[in-house]
Amino acid sequence: MTTNLKGMLTHIEPPKPNPQAGRRWAFVIEPDRCIDCEACMVACSVENQVPVGHHRNWIAHREKGKFPYLSLHFEPENCHHCSNPPCEMVCPTGATFRREDGLVLINYDDCIGCRYCMMACPYDARYFDEDRGVVDKCTFCVHRLDAGQPPACVETCIGGARHFGDINDPESEVAKLLARHEVYVRYAEAGTGPAIFYIMD
Amino acid sequence: MEHGHTVFEWGLLVVIYLYTAGISAGMFATSAFATYVGGGRYRRIARLGALLAPWPLALGLGMLVLDLGRPLYFWKLFVTIQPTSPMSIGSWLLSLFMLVAMINLILWLPRPWRNLIKFPHSRADVRDRLRWQPLTARMVRMGRGVVAAIGFPLSLGVAMYTGILLGAIPGRPFWNTPMLAQLFLFSAMSTGVAALLLVAALWGRISDPHELAHERHMLVSMDVVLILMEFFIIIPFFLHQALNTRSSAESLNLVMGGPYTALLWGGVISLGLLLPLLIEGYELYPVALKEGAVKYNRLLGGLSGLLVLIGGFLLRYVFVYAGQLSHFLPVLPR
Repeated sequence: MTTNLKGMLTHIEPPKPNPQAGRRWAFVIEPDRCIDCEACMVACSVENQVPVGHHRNWIAHREKGKFPYLSLHFEPENCHHCSNPPCEMVCPTGATFRREDGLVLINYDDCIGCRYCMMACPYDARYFDEDRGVVDKCTFCVHRLDAGQPPACVETCIGGARHFGDINDPESEVAKLLARHEVYVRYAEAGTGPAIFYIMD
Repeated sequence: MEHGHTVFEWGLLVVIYLYTAGISAGMFATSAFATYVGGGRYRRIARLGALLAPWPLALGLGMLVLDLGRPLYFWKLFVTIQPTSPMSIGSWLLSLFMLVAMINLILWLPRPWRNLIKFPHSRADVRDRLRWQPLTARMVRMGRGVVAAIGFPLSLGVAMYTGILLGAIPGRPFWNTPMLAQLFLFSAMSTGVAALLLVAALWGRISDPHELAHERHMLVSMDVVLILMEFFIIIPFFLHQALNTRSSAESLNLVMGGPYTALLWGGVISLGLLLPLLIEGYELYPVALKEGAVKYNRLLGGLSGLLVLIGGFLLRYVFVYAGQLSHFLPVLPR
């Protein structure tokens, strides 16, 4: 698909750091540093033991410009951990919940595998784990965060396209990137309040 | 690496569940309606609807549980109420409706069967089971009225819920319109009436064309109205989707040139709505023009019932499958 990004995307007002509000984990991604090596996908699958045939993160391809001035453009993506998550809203058992620090997580004991959340997610970030009979997705590597480490995909990213941190901390790398650059989010019109910000290139 | 759904997460089991829930709701609503109108003229339709209403839903609920990733954990739905989840509200609504429909079934059982259901209060009752009759005729009459009044809004709720389940999701532009709830509601009512029409056509001695004649007249009239209502929804559905955001407009391609075109236009609209409407119009036109009685025709009555039932199934099939292929679209190509 031919895509001209400049002037076509709605840029959003980047969120200002709010140190009083507590942590808000978020990604800031520089698409022009992504080389589509898919190392993040491998790192994620290894770290989270993702079942074969499913992925928790992926790289969307966009073609920019008009022939003959074409360029390929990569947008690494995973669960957007929305501020207003549609998956959490439709979950009939309350298995999907939103943590204080903005992480949208699943309580696997309560998930009955109805897959309504997969219908609701506009990003198709969720997959159905047939072996366990539950739905699963990116957790921002919550087990690593709680141990003080960055998510596996961020640690492994060769081009340095993925940045991760607390956007409410003015000293964090992501807050500084947001303050310096024009950013956009995927499907702003869905009103989901995603926490993956893409830097306009 | 391209991303997106490659398999349909919701398949035939969900289609069958939405379909059977609609038929049950439609049959119950028709039965409740027939209980109140006509001063007892339509008692046989009321009874037929009451006796049949719970069974399609019972089958559908079985399908729904089997469709879960962990069927044995379905009870997790009933230890919580999630006000923002249509599925949570719907599960409670369905259970309540099922309960009311079962009570209605017991109240409408023919007397000898009804008397088999006994709740003995004393030892004497147990000893003399055949003489003890728990429900007097007056209690049954009152009970039918009360249950019909409680169950009617519940049945409308169940029918509407099947549409809201899909329509309340912003992430699927093909579904995300308030008209889906109405479409599924009227389709549910229509398939419920059609199921009764089909049974009425098969009922009794085939040689007697006047068997259940005025009941069939009522069912056919109701079905004509309901089918017309469906057209009043489908037409604005297409107009609104086409004039909505680009994601919505392009989601229409799924049924206009896309993989579900033939099923929607050929199956749902022509076979399931237009053809039965023509047949029922042919049966009713002498009345509408005040030229005479309805053309009672068992074959045509049964055929239009069958066609509406097929159309209702295909409607749910098309929507459940096509909706899963619809997405928000990324930035516009220039």
